[in-house]
Amino acid sequence: MRRGICLLICLTYVTALERINNQLVNKNVERSIDLTSQLVKISSAITLENTGKDSVRSFLVALEPNAVDISYINVKDSLKDDLKILPAKVDGAKDGVFYNIMLKQPVDAGRSTTVILEVVLTKRLEPYPSSITQKDKQLVRYFGNHYFYSPYVTTKQKTEVLLSSRSVENYTKLKPVAQSDSTITYGPYTNIQPFTVDEMMVHFENNSPFLTVTRLERIIEISHWGNIAIEEHIEIRHTGAQLKGPFSRYDYQRDTGSTHHSIKAYRTILPASAHSIYYRDSNGNISTSTVRPRKEWIELELRPRFPLFGGWKSSYVLGYSVPSYQYLFKKPSGEYVLTMRLIDHVFDDMFVEELETSIILPVGVSSVKIDTPYEVERLPDEVTYKYLDNLGRSVIKLRKTDLVEQHIQDFEITYDWKPQLLLHEPLSCLLEE
Amino acid sequence: MVQAGSKKSPISKINSKAGISSLIIFVVLLLAWIAGFASRLFAVIRFESIIHEFDPWFNYRATAYMVKHGFYNFLNWFDERAWYPLGRIVGGTVYPGLMLTSGSIHYILHLLHINVHIRDICVFLAPVFSGLTAISTYFLTKELWSAGAGLFAACFIAIVPGYISRSVAGSYDNEGIAIFALQFTYFLWIKSVKTGSVFWAVAASLSYFYMVSAWGGYVFIINLIPLHVFVLLLMGRYSNRLFTSYTTFYILGLIFSMQIPLVGFQPIRTSEHMAAAGVFALMFAVGILRYLQNMMTKSEFKSLVIFGGLASAGVVFLAVVILTYAGYVAPWSGRFYSLWDTGYAKIHIPIIASVSEHQPTTWFSFFFDLHVLVATFPAGLWYVIKNINDERVFVVLYALSAVYFAGVMVRLMLTLTPVVCILSGIAFSGLLELFLREDDVYHNEDSEEEEHSTPSKRLYDKLPKEAKSKLKSGKSVGNVKTPTPQVVGRVQKMKHEQSKESDGIGPNIRSVVTVVILLLLMLFAVHCTWVTSNAYSSPSIVLASYGSDGSRQILDDFREAYFWLSQNTDDDARVMSCFSNSCCIRVGLRLSNSRNGRNRTTLVDNNTWNNSHIALVGKAMSSNETAAYEIMTALDVDYVLVIFGGVIGYSGDDINKFLWMVRIAEGEHPKDIRESDYFTEHGEFRVDSEGSPTLLNCLMYKLSYYRFGELKLDYRTPAGFDRTRNAVIGNKDFQLTYLEEAYTTEHWLVRVYRVKKPDEFNRPRIPVANRVVKSPSFVSKKSTKRKKGFHKE
Amino acid sequence: MAQITTVISKFYNEYQTKTTKKLKVIDAYLFYILLTGIVQFIYCLLVGTFPFNSFLSGFISCVSCFVLGVCLRLQVNPENKTQFYSISPERGFADFIFAHVVLHLVVMNFIG
Repeated sequence: MRRGICLLICLTYVTALERINNQLVNKNVERSIDLTSQLVKISSAITLENTGKDSVRSFLVALEPNAVDISYINVKDSLKDDLKILPAKVDGAKDGVFYNIMLKQPVDAGRSTTVILEVVLTKRLEPYPSSITQKDKQLVRYFGNHYFYSPYVTTKQKTEVLLSSRSVENYTKLKPVAQSDSTITYGPYTNIQPFTVDEMMVHFENNSPFLTVTRLERIIEISHWGNIAIEEHIEIRHTGAQLKGPFSRYDYQRDTGSTHHSIKAYRTILPASAHSIYYRDSNGNISTSTVRPRKEWIELELRPRFPLFGGWKSSYVLGYSVPSYQYLFKKPSGEYVLTMRLIDHVFDDMFVEELETSIILPVGVSSVKIDTPYEVERLPDEVTYKYLDNLGRSVIKLRKTDLVEQHIQDFEITYDWKPQLLLHEPLSCLLEE
Repeated sequence: MVQAGSKKSPISKINSKAGISSLIIFVVLLLAWIAGFASRLFAVIRFESIIHEFDPWFNYRATAYMVKHGFYNFLNWFDERAWYPLGRIVGGTVYPGLMLTSGSIHYILHLLHINVHIRDICVFLAPVFSGLTAISTYFLTKELWSAGAGLFAACFIAIVPGYISRSVAGSYDNEGIAIFALQFTYFLWIKSVKTGSVFWAVAASLSYFYMVSAWGGYVFIINLIPLHVFVLLLMGRYSNRLFTSYTTFYILGLIFSMQIPLVGFQPIRTSEHMAAAGVFALMFAVGILRYLQNMMTKSEFKSLVIFGGLASAGVVFLAVVILTYAGYVAPWSGRFYSLWDTGYAKIHIPIIASVSEHQPTTWFSFFFDLHVLVATFPAGLWYVIKNINDERVFVVLYALSAVYFAGVMVRLMLTLTPVVCILSGIAFSGLLELFLREDDVYHNEDSEEEEHSTPSKRLYDKLPKEAKSKLKSGKSVGNVKTPTPQVVGRVQKMKHEQSKESDGIGPNIRSVVTVVILLLLMLFAVHCTWVTSNAYSSPSIVLASYGSDGSRQILDDFREAYFWLSQNTDDDARVMSCFSNSCCIRVGLRLSNSRNGRNRTTLVDNNTWNNSHIALVGKAMSSNETAAYEIMTALDVDYVLVIFGGVIGYSGDDINKFLWMVRIAEGEHPKDIRESDYFTEHGEFRVDSEGSPTLLNCLMYKLSYYRFGELKLDYRTPAGFDRTRNAVIGNKDFQLTYLEEAYTTEHWLVRVYRVKKPDEFNRPRIPVANRVVKSPSFVSKKSTKRKKGFHKE
Repeated sequence: MAQITTVISKFYNEYQTKTTKKLKVIDAYLFYILLTGIVQFIYCLLVGTFPFNSFLSGFISCVSCFVLGVCLRLQVNPENKTQFYSISPERGFADFIFAHVVLHLVVMNFIG
């Protein structure tokens, strides 16, 4: 199965050797770079014009050669429908990352269409200076491109950079440029050749939490008795500027200002039906958390045992249960389908370096099929034993790196299972006695 | 609980058949177990299912290691993290019984696919074993007296605070299972003395083996049983039964006890165990003499005895002298001296005296831990002495020695508790028998107790009536004169009871007395519950404070600090901390990492086997910063940790224990540290501006109060007001040169400092005189230790 | 001294006449164990006790065998019937075997 996926990926790579269609022109690009959080969220509205004679079914999106840390990419058409994205290799092009986007409707000659490109980059905001004392503000630098990087000629473009605060140390001034409040506007620039790079740098204050989930293990356990138990083992780390010098509790207690680069608490959102929530670590229960039920979700305010400063890390376990009727369905054909999130919300603007989701299926399932919203690596299956289990349950393990909020999507598992097995545990319990 | 215990009497009046009474016994024991289990759960229900004390965290960590790596790896586990730079061979320095017990329970449950986490087993082990203790107490008392007394004793031990203090859920300590082993060993021993059976003796020695593996208190058994035998010999109660049971028990127990790595060859080498060996030899001597006596006439026997006696005495004396001289038999260890002379420890081994558990017991704590049992216990003892036989001699000795030891050390209250329960059970059972049992059917309520009473018991029960009649004729209670001394004793006893019963012949008074007794028992149960819930169920790693509106606030500073250490220091970071009353630090560090697999190296931990090491740390803490830095660099310390309670008023902090640290340091380095320097001229220990300058400038002071002088706790008090000692600190504005604050918990309870590397600070000018490393002896010690440490790594 | 020799000879005669055959068998066994113990002790004096646990386990197993033998002898002896009223000779022997099983398991473990 896994080998199959790999093969598939290889095949797509091999077959998608594309050529750059010079007939396409970016008539207008409006780009907005959101630097308010620890992530770099770039959203570009592109108006594509077909100046050639043939209608065009697909076009290419290119990212700068140094954009290796791309976490998420998505393209929507003007009707807000997602378009199909394939990684592509471009014939004769320079290095760089290319994606081939399949349009829903071909663009005829002389016509134009608008698409919205969304890219989320991680680890692109560099704390500078890289270590600060407790009292200092956290400053970060962003290096980017003044121009929209594209394989096509861009006729007209404009870029807005959204910052988290008004205090900007420095930024590159490629005219025309204007700063108002916490927004820097570059452009409009006209007639930019393909693959043009001109370095943009913004150095500004950003005290938003730079919190990275270095590892997240999510365990979903299905019980046909009507309960699905979810447990998340989370390791977090403050990846902002390192704390230099001492940590003084005295200063920390006196400093009650809300914007501080240390992280005191954050919010996690759980499904509305979640119950029996627990929050603990290897030392036992962490008593500093509050649950606030909202209408459509449950908001959990988690406070780590200690405030997190740059370079400090922590880990905890968060678990809860949800009723299975909301997630587990029976198909008319008798198969069961579990629809659940592969990853769930940890905190706003989160960044997860490594995710491992394990799904513990009930006893005696067969013909398991799994359908994921994006490519994931499937690790070898395991067998686990729960209370009074003598047959063992199979565990399906999925792994993926570099995830952001946009990856909170559902996966589906389909399997065969006989309801009689429900009685397996009580029976074996009786037999053992 | 106790009510349940006393309920048996009304129930049993239905029928006196054996079936019913055994059902009652079963039900009462079960109820005792459940009650004992339930009343130990306060801590878990109020807080959570974790190990609640500092000490047991180490046990827990060891258990988790054993479960993960198997028993043999556990025995060979070398923990290089503790006791830097020496390391610690864990398998050889712990009593493995506790870990083995929970490990095997874990194993069995997992065979049945009951996936209980080892932590939960550890948390609930002590309450479960308290039930077993109750049952073995029942059997022991039944052997000694009667089943009714046994039930009383079982109910008492299930809820008595003196035992609960060591066995609440979450206190995963040796004592929890050791008391069970103790009671069970005694039961088997009594059984074997009674029957003379080799089987029971072997069982006793097996149980003794379990005890040895569980707790250092096994020495109590191996001295008490020989004492029992010896006293029996003196009383002329030698019998072949005694010979069989003791010799078998001793020799098997000897070889069993040497199986425990920590005990090793001690049973044949240390003085603590020599008494048992001596009695063993004596038993043989007496046995042979008895045998020969049977064979020969008196005069022949006499000459043989003289000859043989002289020869053997000479041989034994020579052997002991030679062995002691050659160093085979070690003298008594310090802890034992401190048992005999309460002042000894304070002078010679401050480390032992510094542990609060080793302080003498106050009267208050006797009452607090035992309540009404304190009063009834002598009565029980009296009953037993009046009706003495072989096995009752044992309980008398047990009671007397335990009372003495409990008076010497708070900690040994634990060994007193079971015997108090037994004797009080006997006393109550005796009292109720007197007041409930009458010839008429209506009062025949404790017939069940009667059923199980031993023949001697029956005899005893009849006696009062004889005595009564005699008394009636004599009218005056005090001046009764009876012809035989035997009756005198009984009459005296009657006098004792008569005072209650003289006017209690009518059923009304009798029932009043019964009600009073029941009331007493009820009060006892209430007291037990109260004490358990208030005094013994507050975990020490989590502190709870109550706000003015009754809301509960949890101060989780210890775990906060330890978790911070585990997460945010280097893997090989070395943390120095004072031993802070045997507990906090060391285990705390383990605590943070018990499951992470990573832990910080600790310099000092509870196990007090290395005095000079502790003294060095104590010296560092009590020197000024510069001198301390020398020691800290020599020890390769990365972090220093202190416990500071000044913000929340926590009295168990390092400043309050500081004098012990000074004393220990003084013991090893008398030239550099003098206790008197830390007192004011008036001999007071003060931290405010009147305090001695040495104190105000020592490392411990500075680390505790760093930047505390700026902190204003509330509007009424000035800045730098220490709530624990109710004083404004004396030295407010100072900077640390060689250390920097690395972390302080929310309520300032734990403060961690990082020791700067030599290139990180501007070294202040040190006067030439101080530039030399202080004590050459410590340097040499250090270097050897270091060598050792590296060698082992 | 002469008195002692007479005592001993008298003792010997009494023993020969009064002791039953069963007991004599046990006595022979005890004597053998005693000899073994003495040999071990002399050996350790001459050669040294280097693997101390091995020596100990050997010596203690010897002593225990002796002790158990004596116990058995006491329990089997009809003269002591009154003291061991609940223990028949068969029961005594069973206990003896049980104790030996336990003992030798431990000795095996200890001898290393």
